[in-house]
Amino acid sequence: MDQQNGKLKALGIAVIVAFLFAMVFPFLWIFITSFKTTGEIYGAGAFNIIPENPTLNNYTTVLFEKGIMNAIKNSFIVASVTTIYIIFVATLSAYAISRFEFRGKNVLLGLILAVSMFPQMIVTGPVYNLFMDLGWTNSYMIVLPYSTITLPTAVWILVTHFNQIPLALEESAKIDGASPLQTLFRIVFPLAAPGVFTTAIIVFIAAWNEFLLTITLNADRAYHTVPVAISFLRTQFEILWGQVTAATTIVTIPTLIIVLLFQKQIVAGLTSGGVKE
Amino acid sequence: MKKMGWKGSLFILPTLILIAIFSLWPVIQSFTYTFFDYRLNNQQKSGLYLNQRFNTDLFNETSFYVTMFLEEDLPNITDAEDQESAQVMIDQIHEVSAQYADLEGVIKISDQQREEIVHLHDEATNLISEFNEKYTLINGENLVLLIDDFQNSIIPSNFIGLKSYKDAITDKRVHTALWNTVFFTVVSVFFEFIFGLALALILNKAISGQGLIRATSLIPWAIPTAVAALMWGYLYDGSFGVVAAFFEKIGLIENSTDLLQSASGAMFATILADVWKTTPYMALLLLAGLQTIPSSLYEAGAIDGAGKIQSFFRITLPLLKPSILVALLFRTLDAFRVFDLIFVLTNGGPGGSTETLSIYAYKAMFGQTNFGYGSVIVMIMFVCVAIIAIIFVKFLGANLMEKN
Repeated sequence: MDQQNGKLKALGIAVIVAFLFAMVFPFLWIFITSFKTTGEIYGAGAFNIIPENPTLNNYTTVLFEKGIMNAIKNSFIVASVTTIYIIFVATLSAYAISRFEFRGKNVLLGLILAVSMFPQMIVTGPVYNLFMDLGWTNSYMIVLPYSTITLPTAVWILVTHFNQIPLALEESAKIDGASPLQTLFRIVFPLAAPGVFTTAIIVFIAAWNEFLLTITLNADRAYHTVPVAISFLRTQFEILWGQVTAATTIVTIPTLIIVLLFQKQIVAGLTSGGVKE
Repeated sequence: MKKMGWKGSLFILPTLILIAIFSLWPVIQSFTYTFFDYRLNNQQKSGLYLNQRFNTDLFNETSFYVTMFLEEDLPNITDAEDQESAQVMIDQIHEVSAQYADLEGVIKISDQQREEIVHLHDEATNLISEFNEKYTLINGENLVLLIDDFQNSIIPSNFIGLKSYKDAITDKRVHTALWNTVFFTVVSVFFEFIFGLALALILNKAISGQGLIRATSLIPWAIPTAVAALMWGYLYDGSFGVVAAFFEKIGLIENSTDLLQSASGAMFATILADVWKTTPYMALLLLAGLQTIPSSLYEAGAIDGAGKIQSFFRITLPLLKPSILVALLFRTLDAFRVFDLIFVLTNGGPGGSTETLSIYAYKAMFGQTNFGYGSVIVMIMFVCVAIIAIIFVKFLGANLMEKN
């Protein structure tokens, strides 16, 4: 029995090591390639593990000529603004759903759930026309349609969190004469802070990664976010892998930092109520 | 729980407004598009025209130039009788255009007004062709072209009813795209589930190293799909890609260029990239489910003499079912809607072998600016997504609302 357990354990460790290798290898290889010279990437040295003549050329080109910094700036603006207003709007409605009794509550919940299942393509065409009519294409107004991909998830996670907070505190606040809004922001919000923070991170990542709306509504390079800007490095006839790998390395760093700092919150957000993304 | 007053409804109002404008209205709008031959690049079809319309700008401009050119050519029309009929024509145009002079843009017109304009067009065409035979006019050719714009200022209705749906049903490209989407979804979700479950089971036992594994798993999930796709594009590169070279070496593919340049290779490549990106996510969801199963159940099972395999099928799987269904539902929907990954990695190629419904819809709408037909493809997706969701919720019993 012990021997069998030992074998199982060894197998488990082997699987985990293989898994970790599979997860990390693509990043590692991209990182290595980003320091190679063009000659090495497209020559006999394509599969070298250690670059022959390490160079930072790819990084300087991508940073100073291809506008990656501008894309990172756009992504920060768009993702931050989306996170702030979505959290505000979602907190209000999640609080109402969790605390008040009203007609059509289940309809509202069902609607929010249904919206999170919509194919994103279905809103893109009409929103494109709307933005053309209003002259909002190529602007930061794009944060508004980002609500379709982030708001349902945010409301869903927040409702789960609010449901876990005991009612007693709010009731005593009410006795002391606090209005619903005061109760929400003075009593519930601080208690729900971890949940709100978790939601904010999930919303931020979703907004940061958005692709379809940006590529259709903001065709102007000046407004490209990271995912779109990076996809444009891949042109039909010449793919400059050195630059692609350098750009990939640069844009992975913010994500890496967020994940390492907030992994517990992210996992909590992902798994609460079986919510996606 | 308190009853909600009107103040309470202010709490949900912003959410309702955002959902109404950016989620519900677009769906209704897309549905409307499907009944029209709606193309942004065609002046006569760049709107939804249930009735015929009239382009006053074009008409007024045309009237201005036709009368000006005719007046300029009057001295060349030597016959007195013809000259008079030319003058009558000019007066007639002035008379008709007077009623539209102050109008702008596209307006509705009555059948009577339409007849008048058609009549004007026909008469002017006849007159000018007659003149062109008899005399040499300075603006002879221009006038013929200009007069056609009288007719063109009438925009016919582009309502086509169910025609686009009929076209889509017989469109081979739609069939291929639907098949590709279903194949991609089923295969990638299947492997993600198997790998994800295995990983979750191992992680549930492992005490040390969970933090490291969790952090590592989150990175592929957290990076933008477009970035992941580009990364894999390099690894799959036929000449310089290390994964392609590796697959060739172990005999998985015959030639390293096959990976992105053959139909089956490209499909395999996109599925592999998707499995890489989302298996960790699946594992985390399932792990959370596993951790809610009390260990006392396994102990009781062991006392009753259940083996490892038996307790997996009798305890783990039944108790994990809710988590499994929810994870499968969201992953299936996500995979069905796949866009960024394929758009960046293969753009549907080679030869449409990885073209999914969303890629085809995107190409129809933003490549060919055919919003009508593109919306039909989107509607097909919408119906499929609804069916998938209903199957999971109704028949498999994924209880999404249990917590509320």
